[in-house]
Amino acid sequence: MAGTLKKTHPRQGAQESAAENMNDLQHDIALMQRIADKDESALQSLYAACGQRIYAYALRLTNDPALAEDVVQDTLVAIWRSAKKFRGDGRLIAWLLGIVHHTALKALRRKPALSLSPEMENTLPAHDPLPEETLEANEQTCLVRSALNQLSAEHRAVLELVFYQGMSLNEAAAVCNCPVGTVKSRLSYARKHLRGLLSRTEEI
Amino acid sequence: MNVHDPDTIALYAAGQLTADEAAAVESHLTDCADCQDELAFWRELGAEINTSSAALPPPPDLAERALKQIHAPSPLQRAWRQSAALLRSQFVLVRREMWAAAAAFMVLVVIMALLSDHTGFLTGLAPMLAAATLAAIYGPQNDPASELALATPTSPWKILLARLSIVSAYNLVLSLAASLALLAIIPADLLGSIVLAWLGPLAFLSALALLLSLWIGTANAITICYAAWLLHYIQPSEIFGAWAPSLQVWDAFLTVYRQFWESPILLLGLSAAVVALALVSSNFPEQVINQRRA
Repeated sequence: MAGTLKKTHPRQGAQESAAENMNDLQHDIALMQRIADKDESALQSLYAACGQRIYAYALRLTNDPALAEDVVQDTLVAIWRSAKKFRGDGRLIAWLLGIVHHTALKALRRKPALSLSPEMENTLPAHDPLPEETLEANEQTCLVRSALNQLSAEHRAVLELVFYQGMSLNEAAAVCNCPVGTVKSRLSYARKHLRGLLSRTEEI
Repeated sequence: MNVHDPDTIALYAAGQLTADEAAAVESHLTDCADCQDELAFWRELGAEINTSSAALPPPPDLAERALKQIHAPSPLQRAWRQSAALLRSQFVLVRREMWAAAAAFMVLVVIMALLSDHTGFLTGLAPMLAAATLAAIYGPQNDPASELALATPTSPWKILLARLSIVSAYNLVLSLAASLALLAIIPADLLGSIVLAWLGPLAFLSALALLLSLWIGTANAITICYAAWLLHYIQPSEIFGAWAPSLQVWDAFLTVYRQFWESPILLLGLSAAVVALALVSSNFPEQVINQRRA
């Protein structure tokens, strides 16, 4: 599981030995085979290895810890049922995050109060950081955080995939089930939007 | 690739450029303040995303919760299991002597029909037997466990529906078996019309007996149902023929009334409505006089 745990950035990943990557992939395929054979301990070791990244992505998309837990739970159930569909064409973590992405967007659609359109979200007042958040993070970090929260789930998804999850643009496109061009334009839109918000607040 | 482009800097900050492209961007960065500013923005954003995502420990029990959900039966399976359990539990609560008594009565009916070579015994008596059995399936007069049943989380209408299903199914089987036995005296192609002749009345009388037993008690329910059923056999003009000119209205009514008992579809539709009414009224104990009378 070392391969999926390690934050392999695409470029850094290229520097790693090809043999090691191949071993990781073999390991992941074997693990998914065990899950496909209904081995419960295999699902638990998958969660132990990838749970943090799966949960972080679900939380980034939903912005709601309770909903994120539901999404992860539903994702694990979906993995249990479709584990045999993982053929090792790409990294396991990208395949897993694709399921999280699909599940989270479905959950957001089901909760209309939470799934505001980007236009509507833009008109919302920035989420006020809690007092303890203010204490532990400096003012600028809070500004960035609240600006991030004003982006739509799709735009936050691209940022999270490219930065924290270390996905290449192609992998991010596969996770979001959209063309690479869309990932690029979302990145560009997120940049403009965040820069606009942050410069405006700086002026004030 | 245009190195002096915010989108290029974004890809550089995200580590998405090849080594050659990254080197080109780096050499451009040394003497472009705008792009340095751009990179600083992305570094800050990336740091915030990375720290906030890494700061969140995943709930430890989610794998167990998912496995529990995986092992949980589907809603349909659960509904089937609950229904089967309810039917089993109610089956033992129906008065035990009812099964044997009803079967013995039906055997008698078949014997009489065979001896007299007359199917009217079956079509006339099967609905009455069914009404009697259904009038006695619910309420404190008939069910020693009814107080207990009322205190269980299963709602009264479900209990009633379960018993109704069990006893009605039994009545149907008995009557069908009796109809088959009558094949000894009737041609096979008449079987369908025999079944239709008792099916509608059986369903409607059963439903009526059930509803009335909830409202006014078992004995009253049986009396009223039997009166309603036997009424359609009466021929007043034959009995009181000599001084009967004023009975013509009554005669006309009885003609319509007999047609009513001979319309299976109408009777089945009405039975469904009456059963629905009985199920609803079983949920309002205050209105169910019978239950308070013990």
